[in-house]
Amino acid sequence: MTISVSWYLVVSAIIFTVGVIGVLVRRNPLVIFMSIELMLNAVNLSFVAFSHYLDSVDGLMFVFLVLTIAAAEVVVGLAIIVSIFRTRRDIDVDDMNVLRG
Amino acid sequence: MTDTQTLISFFVLAVASVASAIGVIIFRNAVHSALSLILTLLFLALFYLQLGAMFIAIVQILIYAGAIMVLFLFVVTMLASELRDTELPDRIPWQRGVAATLGLILVGALSYLLFTGTTIVTSAKASGANSLSQVVATQGDTQAFGLALFHGFAFPFEVTSLVIVVAMLGAMVLGRKS
Repeated sequence: MTISVSWYLVVSAIIFTVGVIGVLVRRNPLVIFMSIELMLNAVNLSFVAFSHYLDSVDGLMFVFLVLTIAAAEVVVGLAIIVSIFRTRRDIDVDDMNVLRG
Repeated sequence: MTDTQTLISFFVLAVASVASAIGVIIFRNAVHSALSLILTLLFLALFYLQLGAMFIAIVQILIYAGAIMVLFLFVVTMLASELRDTELPDRIPWQRGVAATLGLILVGALSYLLFTGTTIVTSAKASGANSLSQVVATQGDTQAFGLALFHGFAFPFEVTSLVIVVAMLGAMVLGRKS
């Protein structure tokens, strides 16, 4: 019995869904960010699995680009969270429902 | 590695990574969530090793588990003294149940599609000079990665540097005391 690509994709789908549920349920913006990271990583896993099973290097390139974009996204996102926290002293996403400072 | 060993390591890794991923969204304390996320990233790096992507596995540990999560933990500890330990009661009380149900439906639908749609994979397999396993066998994993990055993907790679510069500028603008 060998492992087919579908198995990796199912693991990836489960981790992605955990990330989606985290974004839906949690209200601490830091944990929501971590859930987004989970989703990005789930997609990375499926890219690597496809790259292995299709015997092509393209999937690894996409993983590399996703890693870089994730780093950039985290930098900007955490800066936004910190600056919101500076002005409001509280970070619950339910309270952030207006688009002004 | 024999087939059975690969199979066992796959299932151990799958259970461990899913469990630690669930830990990220279950723990009340943000520091525990961050540690659980680091664990998930390490397990995924082991998955990458199992799939033969050594360079990506190392980059995953260095950049994700190293740099990005350290940044996360910095912000968590910076805000920790002000954060409430317990969240306020939900404004929408049925939110959790609905999210869990929708999540189960999503996993079910994705798994169904994945197990019925695998014919695409075998028909699209690369061959000849494009074959990754051939390049890896002659030149090694990292060199194969570097060759592809600087030949076929040089332009996206350069654009990434632009994205990073913009992200740095954004962080500086947002972090400035006005």
